[in-house]
Amino acid sequence: MKDGRFLTLGIETSCDETAASVVADGRFVMSNVISSQIDIHTAYGGVVPEIASRKHLERINDVIGKALEDACVSAKDIDLIGVTCGPGLVGALLIGVAAAKAMAYACDIPLVGVNHMHGHIAANYLEHKELEPPFMALIVSGGHTEIVNVPDYNKCEKLGGTRDDAAGEAFDKVARVIGLGYPGGPKIDRAAKEGDPDSIAFKRVYLEQGSLDFSFSGLKTQALNYLNQERQAGREIDVNNVAASFQEAVVEVIADKAVMAAERYGQKQIVMAGGVASNSRLRALMEEKAGRKGIKVLKPSPVLCTDNGAMIASAAYYAYRSGVKPDLELDAVPGLEF
Amino acid sequence: MKVLAIETTGKYGSASVIDNGGHVFSASSSEEMNHLRGMITLIDEAIHEAGITKDELTHVAASVGPGSFTGIRIGVTTARIMSQMLDIPCIAVSTLEAMAVRALDKAISAGALYVVPVINARRHQTYAGVYEAVFTSDCEHQSAIPVMEEKQYMIEDLLSELQTRMAEHSGAVAFFTGDGIDAYADIIKSTMTEGSYAFADEDLRYQHAEAVARIALGKAAAGETLTYNGLMPEYMRLAEAEQRLRAGTLSDRIRFPAK
Ligand SMILES: Nc1ncnc2c1ncn2[C@@H]1O[C@H](COP(=O)(O)OP(=O)(O)OP(=O)(O)O)[C@@H](O)[C@H]1O
Ligand SMILES: [Mg+2]
Repeated sequence: MKDGRFLTLGIETSCDETAASVVADGRFVMSNVISSQIDIHTAYGGVVPEIASRKHLERINDVIGKALEDACVSAKDIDLIGVTCGPGLVGALLIGVAAAKAMAYACDIPLVGVNHMHGHIAANYLEHKELEPPFMALIVSGGHTEIVNVPDYNKCEKLGGTRDDAAGEAFDKVARVIGLGYPGGPKIDRAAKEGDPDSIAFKRVYLEQGSLDFSFSGLKTQALNYLNQERQAGREIDVNNVAASFQEAVVEVIADKAVMAAERYGQKQIVMAGGVASNSRLRALMEEKAGRKGIKVLKPSPVLCTDNGAMIASAAYYAYRSGVKPDLELDAVPGLEF
Repeated sequence: MKVLAIETTGKYGSASVIDNGGHVFSASSSEEMNHLRGMITLIDEAIHEAGITKDELTHVAASVGPGSFTGIRIGVTTARIMSQMLDIPCIAVSTLEAMAVRALDKAISAGALYVVPVINARRHQTYAGVYEAVFTSDCEHQSAIPVMEEKQYMIEDLLSELQTRMAEHSGAVAFFTGDGIDAYADIIKSTMTEGSYAFADEDLRYQHAEAVARIALGKAAAGETLTYNGLMPEYMRLAEAEQRLRAGTLSDRIRFPAK
């Protein structure tokens, strides 16, 4: 406690960001330190789990130290530690979990494990101080594309998800195919602004009538086929057009299904989360389609969309308040379900 | 001094606390590869056994490898964070040296000149070192002095280098320890001459924090301490992707997607 506020330290190491943050009363970000490894993994064309684990270990102390320092607090002031315990890369997760446990033990602070996906949803509590459940959540990230009904804090009901590639994965794969490199999402977003979304007919995959599931794996094949066909015909390829057309095919389906889910469950607000929620076209289209039905769309700012410790702290705060028991025998669970 | 030592590089985790008098209090896991879940419980038990509180610890030591990459990281991360939060220095202890120290008494009573800790790294690979058992100047204690570099060896290369060295001391015996015995006993038996080697019994063959604590106590007394950022794993091997990147053979096969 400091100045009467309940302080949670959130620790996140599920993939390639080493992150820690201090959050007051589950809502106010006092510090948010993110040490990204993107520069290292770029040389490999994607995240190499063993290298990610090694880097997390080297950086975790200073990231936690800086999170405390930036918040102008010391470890003694922390009331709760929350750490991502899954889903994610097992070797990466266990650095955060081992660090969180050692700190919890050394400083006598309760520790709770946080589902990374709950963290992404909780990012919205930090951005929108007035937001409270119930709402519909749309999680679109590197590993997940999910529609989740959130009736209460710490209650999540998954309604649909991808059957193959996640949205972010599709962005990354297609970006590689058209030579934009890694990480693909932001690069496609940028290139698409200069392109024509109607120039190439990418299929919109809606699956069965009324389904809230997704399938994006066919898009990479379509992109490859298009490139081959154009090359054979000796035509020059406009990367911006491919990016814009591909992006439109992805975000249109996502937006339609998210709005359909909100309507079906009578939710008046949709909350967006995950790295792909930064996509400018997805944001615009969601506003447009939900707005027509009188549904409000909320999204965190980009820094809270990517993996960060603040969202984990917020989720930990609400989990602890709703009775989740502290646990020093916490394990890392790479395939943790919602 | 009260030094906490952590050992998580092998199959079973353990933690020990050692005091100035060399008394060691330990807790060991009976569950395989339970390092992440069980580590704090083991540490707490060892501290409790020693009759102290965690705030009385003066140093925290970790067995830094070689060994299981994951195991190494759990122990080293735990030690680094405890060091940072309790504001006490760290001590790095070589896993191979700790294994040699653990087997030392037995090696000497078996008349061995050399102790050879061998960790199985699969496909004829090992992490190994060779130590000579010598008396310290007071003639009361034995210590293990490294005589061959700790590194990755093919088991065949390790044995042939060892034999070259042993040829200079007729009748010398090498005392093997570590899970390398479990993997390569047949190769060792067929390479070494009869009577020139012995194997550690299973009760002393595997990593344990007690030996880490003994080495750490000596290092603490000698001021060989580190800040938490100085405590680094000793993997003895690059990540496979990094090897390939350096060799220019990074293929799509080991490129992982963003997830
Ligand atoms: N502006 C953008 N447009 C589209 N995709 C984007 C944008 N910015 C980031 N992304 C994508 O978001 C993904 C990264 O998001 P995030 O960090 O939330 O995912 P992750 O942590 O890797 O996965 P998960 O959270 O599912 O474990 C990458 O696939 C990236 O390409
Ligand atoms: Mg994420």
